[in-house]
Amino acid sequence: MTQDALVTVDASALEHNVRTLREHVGDARVMVVVKANAYGHGAVPSALAFERAGADMLGVADLDEAVELRRGGVQLPVLAWLHAPGETFERAAEHDVTPAVSDLAQLEAAARAGVRAVHLCVDTGLSRNGAVEHEWPELFARAAELQDRLPVEGLMSHLANTSPEEDGRQTATFRRAAGAAAAAGLAPRLLHLGASAGALAHEGTRFDLVRLGLAAYGLSPWADRSAAELGLRPAMTLTAPVTTVKRVPAGEGVSYGYVFRPERDTTIAVVPVGYADGVDRAASDRASVTIGGRRHRVRGRIAMNALVVDVGDDPVSVGDEVVLFGDPEHGHVGAEEWAAAAGGITYEVVACLSPHLPRRHA
Amino acid sequence: MTPAPLRRATVDLAAYRANLASLVARMAPAQVLAIVKSEAYSHGLEVMVPEAVAAGVRWFGTVELEPALRLRRAGLGDEASMLAWQLGPDEDWAGAVEHRVDLGVSTLEQLEAFAAAARERSGVALVQLDLDTGLHREGCLPADWPALVSRAVALRDEGVVRLRGVFSHVSETSADDDRDALDRFTAAVAEAEALGAAFELRHLSSSSAGMEHPERRFDLVRMGSNGYGIPVTEGVTAADRGLRPILTLSAWVVRTKRVPAGTGVSYDHTWRAERDTTLALVPIGYADGVSRRAQHGVEVTLRGRRYPIVGRVAMDQFLVDVGDDPVEVGDEVLLFGPGDRGELTIGEWADLTGTIPEEIACRIGARVPRHYLGRRA
Repeated sequence: MTQDALVTVDASALEHNVRTLREHVGDARVMVVVKANAYGHGAVPSALAFERAGADMLGVADLDEAVELRRGGVQLPVLAWLHAPGETFERAAEHDVTPAVSDLAQLEAAARAGVRAVHLCVDTGLSRNGAVEHEWPELFARAAELQDRLPVEGLMSHLANTSPEEDGRQTATFRRAAGAAAAAGLAPRLLHLGASAGALAHEGTRFDLVRLGLAAYGLSPWADRSAAELGLRPAMTLTAPVTTVKRVPAGEGVSYGYVFRPERDTTIAVVPVGYADGVDRAASDRASVTIGGRRHRVRGRIAMNALVVDVGDDPVSVGDEVVLFGDPEHGHVGAEEWAAAAGGITYEVVACLSPHLPRRHA
Repeated sequence: MTPAPLRRATVDLAAYRANLASLVARMAPAQVLAIVKSEAYSHGLEVMVPEAVAAGVRWFGTVELEPALRLRRAGLGDEASMLAWQLGPDEDWAGAVEHRVDLGVSTLEQLEAFAAAARERSGVALVQLDLDTGLHREGCLPADWPALVSRAVALRDEGVVRLRGVFSHVSETSADDDRDALDRFTAAVAEAEALGAAFELRHLSSSSAGMEHPERRFDLVRMGSNGYGIPVTEGVTAADRGLRPILTLSAWVVRTKRVPAGTGVSYDHTWRAERDTTLALVPIGYADGVSRRAQHGVEVTLRGRRYPIVGRVAMDQFLVDVGDDPVEVGDEVLLFGPGDRGELTIGEWADLTGTIPEEIACRIGARVPRHYLGRRA
């Protein structure tokens, strides 16, 4: 935990993004995915913001995450799809959580526990969760037998985003699953396949409900289109104060391994954020930050609790606010740029931030 | 009923105590300061500190002040001293005075603020002077050193400061650079003594330097990664050092799937099955600290055998290709551990994912419950 580093989440941006995305998806309903601590934004306050913005449903990976939302006072329906071996779903029933089930064992357990409803999860090509095609008849038939006491509310799958052709094949497979479910006597009212990319572009993947992940947080799911171009506002800003300012002569090393040796005299600022806070060490010597609206490079190795910024000859003082990333429209470095610096993806930059960093929803 | 686990980080407290007890014995007569920054490298601060005390550790380095105060307020590690040196502009100086936390002071401003808090409360500021010998992070630059020392001596004479120590960090870049740092440190200590300072403790070395260079131990060695059984010196394993890794990361298979040849796997289908095979879905992903850089064939261990991660590591899960071997839902998957059950060590995992073991340990996420074995304290 770094006392003075702060994750600020603009709740109005979260709300704006959901409202904007809703306009894109026409009549489809909107689920916002708040797994992994709402992609690092803080699960409960983010979920409440999405609730205010009129989301129809929330999605999480596991039941622990769902229970946390309920304990935080979240009222919206919550869907959870990643279940422990032998899961009994008693907690799902107790906390009014809707499980997505992938096999007979999960379906039977959900029925025994008396959950409000289930979604059936099918694998259309991602090869992760979900029943594969030859398992559908048995799963759907049993779900039909149970549906008087266990309503089947939805049918879902997830795209691999490999290529338009592959996504098209997956969409066709999903339609077959819907047909098989109907033939078995099921009438799930929420078919859902597409995620953020589906909401923004691929109409054919939308069906009755679209799952919004990254885009709801104001980040673009595509490398070649910015959030601003999509009408989205990045909600998260990571800041920390400068704790040390030091003039370093040319040729001296900085931080562990002396990866950085300035070629001329320069001023460095130490910022109390490091990889233990979730800032990827792979961004060492590559990422940039802003101080007082001016961009500066992170130099040397990012340490567990600190990183060093080369501010050149700019006047920087102890206590000055460093913005590691935020909304590029406000002159900040974007999370996308940190992802590129670390050789990773934007999702990681936000979702891997330490839970110990304080979050402030404003 | 307790739900079955999805994921778990198991912390072997007996191994932690054994590592520290061994380090305490080997560093003697120098003392050992156990580094417990970042929630004790994410092992759990409040659990690890009493265990370290049980192993004979009497100094803790929290780096920041807040965790030291948290420990003091909880009455944990009461018999030990605590040192913090990464200080913000608005630190709780009074808290440090009241709770007897040593502060590593780098600037006159910090020194004056700490001393003022002591004066106000009729207490004593426990000061250790932090010298920059080349790392250029915290620490007083040599040019500013005489002024800082002189003022500290004056405040000591006033009775508001106890001059407990002097220390520095070395960069561990090269033998030459580290020798330069040693020379700068020795010279600065001599300069301070000439200005009237007398230090109870001098310390320069952290884990590896403390092990390899007895002449750099002075009065105390700051032990970080070694305590957790993850030596940082390249090419040196925990066993080489007589240490044992204390952390095991596991997840449990939630689904198995027989797939035909040609099946694409996970996002972007970066991997396709070359022949019919069985995939196991493992419910732990990058949000839990499993780097996406593990997606290029890093192996996990199931039933004592190694199998490769295939396809992209996602936020919450990844897939393993187990071929034609029998694997069932509920089987434990070992990502890394001490290596006793055929699994990778955390050091090997770090090498394969292009980082250091400390980053692996620190970035294990909140959805991974910590499970403690061998609790004594």
